[in-house]
Amino acid sequence: MWRQVLDDVIRKTLQGFGERLEAFGPNLLAMAVILGLGVVAAMAVRFVVGRLLPRLGFDRLAEGAGLRLVLQKGGIEGCPSGLVAIVLAWGVLGAFVLLAIGALNLQVAMDLVSKAFAWLPQLLIALAVLTLGSMTSAFLRRSVLIAAVNAGLPSARALAGGVHTALLILFAAIALEHLGVGRQIIVASFTILFGGVTFALALAFGLAGRVPARQLLDRLLRDTGDQHDDLHHL
Amino acid sequence: MLSGVVPLSSAVEARLGELGSVELLVGIPSYNNARTIGHVVHAAAAGLAKYFPGRRAAIVNSDGGSEDETPAIVAAADLHSPGALLVSHPVAPVHKVMTPYHGMPGKGSAFRTIFAIAERLGARACAVVDADLRSITPHWFEWLLGPVLHEDFDFVSPLYLRHKYDGTITNSIVYPLTRALYGKELRQPIGGDFGFSGRLASHYLTKPVWETNVARFGVDIWMTTTAVAAGFRVCQAFLGAKIHDPKDPGADLAGMLVQVVSSVFDLMETYRDRWRVVERAEAVPLFGFPHGVGLEPVRVDVERMRGIFRQGVKDLGEVWGQALDRETLAAVTALSEREIGDFTFPDPLWVRVVYGFALAYHRRTLPTEQLLRSLVPLYLGRTASFIVQEAESGADEVEASIAALADEFLKQKGDLLQRWS
Repeated sequence: MWRQVLDDVIRKTLQGFGERLEAFGPNLLAMAVILGLGVVAAMAVRFVVGRLLPRLGFDRLAEGAGLRLVLQKGGIEGCPSGLVAIVLAWGVLGAFVLLAIGALNLQVAMDLVSKAFAWLPQLLIALAVLTLGSMTSAFLRRSVLIAAVNAGLPSARALAGGVHTALLILFAAIALEHLGVGRQIIVASFTILFGGVTFALALAFGLAGRVPARQLLDRLLRDTGDQHDDLHHL
Repeated sequence: MLSGVVPLSSAVEARLGELGSVELLVGIPSYNNARTIGHVVHAAAAGLAKYFPGRRAAIVNSDGGSEDETPAIVAAADLHSPGALLVSHPVAPVHKVMTPYHGMPGKGSAFRTIFAIAERLGARACAVVDADLRSITPHWFEWLLGPVLHEDFDFVSPLYLRHKYDGTITNSIVYPLTRALYGKELRQPIGGDFGFSGRLASHYLTKPVWETNVARFGVDIWMTTTAVAAGFRVCQAFLGAKIHDPKDPGADLAGMLVQVVSSVFDLMETYRDRWRVVERAEAVPLFGFPHGVGLEPVRVDVERMRGIFRQGVKDLGEVWGQALDRETLAAVTALSEREIGDFTFPDPLWVRVVYGFALAYHRRTLPTEQLLRSLVPLYLGRTASFIVQEAESGADEVEASIAALADEFLKQKGDLLQRWS
């Protein structure tokens, strides 16, 4: 009697497991296959992009646009094309992971995949905004730096750094606002920060630094460019 | 004949039809030059009458839409009065053609219209002169047109009498670089006043450059380089002092440097097959009588130039690092620590700097505008060094220094070629 009950329980348990495995096994196998394919596809993308972009002159272009400098400042060494290849490879792998989860055909997994795919465009746009912002701010930083040095402004580097930082903050705020992360807080922080900094600078320049401000304005208004000389450069 | 593709108004077409043909043509591009253009037109008319009597000639004013009295002054200029022409014997009349130019605003577009009219009128010898000249005299036209008409030259480059400190962009970059690249000793390749043959005008018209920077600002060096690179016969003419109307204050040094140097570097791309094979430089025939006269001293602020150079060393290392190799950058950095009396920017180092920037421009390692604007502090450092070094020098000694720099450019050309891909 006791033995019969034990046999039934084990048999039913194993039978149930077998049935569930039979029903769920193909999904699991499909997931494993998709994941495997994803790894292969990601490696292929990294290999192809990592070799194609340098030949198309991407590294030179990125260097010219100041991207390499930005990456170096961010502690990222190596060529920009290698970085793009890695990012794309991870993107491909991420897409395959989502597909693999979808292959499980579970409600929770399906919801997760749907949400992830719905959020993906926002994420990509935010990344694009950040990339564009980083390139634009680096470009403008260099333009301001060169112009300030040529004008003989003593605080050229600080001025260029200020422009760079302000633009980076601006683009980061745009990206976060686009993602809908703490929308109210970001807008409020951004407004307070910029308003505060501008007001503080105006006060510092006009009150605390009244004499240097007058001297600087006098110099800027009186002496522009090469009017110090009667020299004809051409 | 490509002059047909250059748009001309019906009135100008009719005027050209009336004229038929001329032997000599003087082109004057203008834009708001009411203060000086009357003098320039009369000098041209007098020069044509005095040095080329009996030859059919025309003066073409190609205007960029002046908002002052420039067109009215040209229209009112009396070219037939013996008093105005400074001659007493009968002369062939000098004709006037006034035309607005079309295309991109700039001296190049004005020149294109002049080239087209020269071709249409079958001119044998042409000259172009700036409309803002105060020092132009009739004899300029003898030396700009004569070598073309009588000696069969195709291009006459001007040689001016200048203060020893003037023309530093020409002296430290454009002349020595152009000489090293193309092998002709044309001392002032961006002078702005040139003589040229009708066939060279037609050759210029065949070039597809009229929608580029050549149309806007780079036409002077383009004309010189194209004439040399295409193998036309070139010479120089001594014109004496060149004094302009006071310049537009908006024309800043950085803008000028970018325009001039980018034009030279762009031409290095266009004519790379030509300059690769040039190994030496040769003198070209010189017309006129070079002489030295006292010129008023010029005011220069060497300390300010050196200050900007030092600030460049302090702040622009990351930018210069895109153009200069480590050794050159270190040598430039070391210069900034020297005292003013000991401040010397050696020729070999300056040549390495210019070639480094040429290569960086070629490889587009930075946006070109930024790259060339970052050259300003280096250029000012070199100029300050030049002024300090030549403070006690006479004109001949200064010329010898410039010749030595030009030789250094030629000496290092092999390195440039090796790194140019």
